[in-house]
Amino acid sequence: MTTSRTARRILAATSLAALAAGALSLPPALAAEGGVTQERLLNADKEEGNWIQHHKNFAGHRFSTLTQINKDNVKGLKVAWTMALGGIESGGIWSHGGLEGTPIVENGMMFVTDGWGSVYKIDTRGGEGKLLWKMDPKTDREWAGAVACCGVNNRGVALWGDLVVSHTLDGRLIATNKETGQVAWQRQVADPDKGETITGAPLIVKGMAISGVGGAEYGIRGWIAATDLKTEKEVWRTHTIPGKGEPGYETWKGNNNAAVSGGGSTWVTGTYDPDTDTIVWGTGNPGPDWDNAYRPGDNLYTDSTLALDATTGKIKWHFQHTPNDPYDYDSVSENLLVDAGGRKLAIEADRNGHAYAVDRTNGQFVWATPFVKKVTWTKGINPDTGKPFEYDPNKDVQRYNPAATPSAENKTADFCPGNMGGKNWPPTAYNPNLQYWYIPVIESCNRVTHEAMTQANLKPREFFTGGGPTNPFRITGSVTAIDVKTGKVAGKHETQFPLLGGMLATPDLVFTGEPGGGVMALDARSLEKLWEFRTGSGVNAPPMTFTVDGKQYVAILVGLGGAWDKWFIDSTPELKNIQTGSMLYVFAL
Amino acid sequence: MRKLVMPALLAGLALAGLALASPAAWAQGVRSGGGEGDLAVFKKACSGCHKWHGGGGGGYGGEALSLRKTQLDKDQIAEVVRCGRPGTGMPYHLRGAYDSVKCYDSLKADMAGNMPPETAVFLRPAEIDAVAGYVATQLKGKGEPTFEECTAFFGTTSRACDVYRKKEGSDAPTVSH
Repeated sequence: MTTSRTARRILAATSLAALAAGALSLPPALAAEGGVTQERLLNADKEEGNWIQHHKNFAGHRFSTLTQINKDNVKGLKVAWTMALGGIESGGIWSHGGLEGTPIVENGMMFVTDGWGSVYKIDTRGGEGKLLWKMDPKTDREWAGAVACCGVNNRGVALWGDLVVSHTLDGRLIATNKETGQVAWQRQVADPDKGETITGAPLIVKGMAISGVGGAEYGIRGWIAATDLKTEKEVWRTHTIPGKGEPGYETWKGNNNAAVSGGGSTWVTGTYDPDTDTIVWGTGNPGPDWDNAYRPGDNLYTDSTLALDATTGKIKWHFQHTPNDPYDYDSVSENLLVDAGGRKLAIEADRNGHAYAVDRTNGQFVWATPFVKKVTWTKGINPDTGKPFEYDPNKDVQRYNPAATPSAENKTADFCPGNMGGKNWPPTAYNPNLQYWYIPVIESCNRVTHEAMTQANLKPREFFTGGGPTNPFRITGSVTAIDVKTGKVAGKHETQFPLLGGMLATPDLVFTGEPGGGVMALDARSLEKLWEFRTGSGVNAPPMTFTVDGKQYVAILVGLGGAWDKWFIDSTPELKNIQTGSMLYVFAL
Repeated sequence: MRKLVMPALLAGLALAGLALASPAAWAQGVRSGGGEGDLAVFKKACSGCHKWHGGGGGGYGGEALSLRKTQLDKDQIAEVVRCGRPGTGMPYHLRGAYDSVKCYDSLKADMAGNMPPETAVFLRPAEIDAVAGYVATQLKGKGEPTFEECTAFFGTTSRACDVYRKKEGSDAPTVSH
């Protein structure tokens, strides 16, 4: 206790010193001492040297205003320190875990997770990393790993009061004491018996932890849930597939009672618009993935952007990207809340290969543009409707481009983007000065073999996918910048491998990593590569930046896990040489 | 120089000795439950796609066939493990298959686009024999997976099998929402 009090005093002193030096422009009420509040989360951008929530701010920008590291000196960026983490153990169908988390940093204290949900608190002061504690949630690896479609993943923590809030793959929400690392309380939110798992970081809104779920490959019925962090009780749970009598239920036709296993998972952390008290969250693919004849109708609210009343969880509006999806084109991607051209937009880079902007006050379509080099499943998005040109509202089963669509008549179909999508979970970043939006792209096609499903195929904890993919085509990647003012592609930096880690934007740089091991910095305007460090392992997590002791650092987790090295490796044969690892890298000038 | 040559020569002899050893020598360290085959090898090499119960099914890894419904005998199963299934996602597991060792009477050059993928982890001949035995005796011909089969695979410290106990009418814990 004495130690931590002393530590807090030192921290307080540091903050004051920083304030005096003008490095922090915070009013005293927002000073970082004393735990994370809604007020601090609302003003996260003003805490320049901190990174206190998953996407940096409620709007999902992943934009840091720090400029000590800039395009003139980034060439001199070097490894400051590293730390080996754990979590590479096997479990279920997985031979090892990986790292997908975004480090959270508050006043020099870093919080990261590994794939099995252990939380690490690391003191980054003094130019090195010191592990203060590790909270191991003792995840039931077999229970969870057997129904995790796409790897042993955990994307990080959230902070609230004196708690560190995190999820586990086996479906728990855990509140850990920030000082001691002791579990304060935990709650089972998702049920792996039903094929539900949790990989996303919690979003904290007004003292509630918002949880999303994975499992659309296992016949789940998706939801988003809010837990009150004070009472430890559930406040609301909104299903992404309507129940009988609810609007949208009529978009599940046929005789299979398909809505009960309709998927619509919510496994990527969403964003929050305080002006309208609205949570904006993406939903995943319908199930079974590749047999859309099993589930005639548009299949609301799968592949959609949902706007929820944060207080009640009630759906305010929705925008669906790929109705009656036969490709596995989740729309789980984070919606960035940006204002451009006098409009309040929510922008999302969809797995179907198109970047979308909708009016975030009502869900009305504004624009869509392809951000991948190759799209074959559709001729494009109709600028009047926001739907694919081939979409026919009078048809129950959509075929889009029939030659590229797996179906009973076309058992083996090649389509682009492949089923991992043009962009998967790795987050985008947005530079509000340039109004450039940076997408980590998977430039891909793959092949899916269709299998007709019946209700007899639906079993607890078993894949319910209606076929499966193979990867006979080479897959590459790119950083693609969209000019949000015009909705057009402003630049593309091509990479040998798909970008599986995500983006960080600073005023004149963008950072990203790739699964071949490179961590790189690009010019924010030209996308020219200015710096690269080869980690010798696979990057599968987004970079972030922070300051401590007045100095700027860039941090990134390194350790290839996720879906790629099990399901998609044939498309990137060189990555077979990437070894399992679990490391934190921290760079500085 | 001479001092360096000697250990190298010895090492070479040791390797040759290993190479000449009978398959039984390779089997050391492979648990083989009295002709029932080896679960550990199945876990390591097969369960990722064929699932713990061998039932296979569609999924992100393509459509692994059901080993419970297989019509193959043990030798045929061993051949498929060694050589993979051409034109499908089933990989070959024998080091040197289609290269120094012919598979289905073919080498790589004969396979063109039908070459099966290479496994992530090669199996030793005794492991292939053991896992073929496991499939033939423990999985082939079995119906729906049971709680007992599940706990035999996972042990009893995980909740992975609760769902099968429920099916059989027990009061396994459920999640309260």
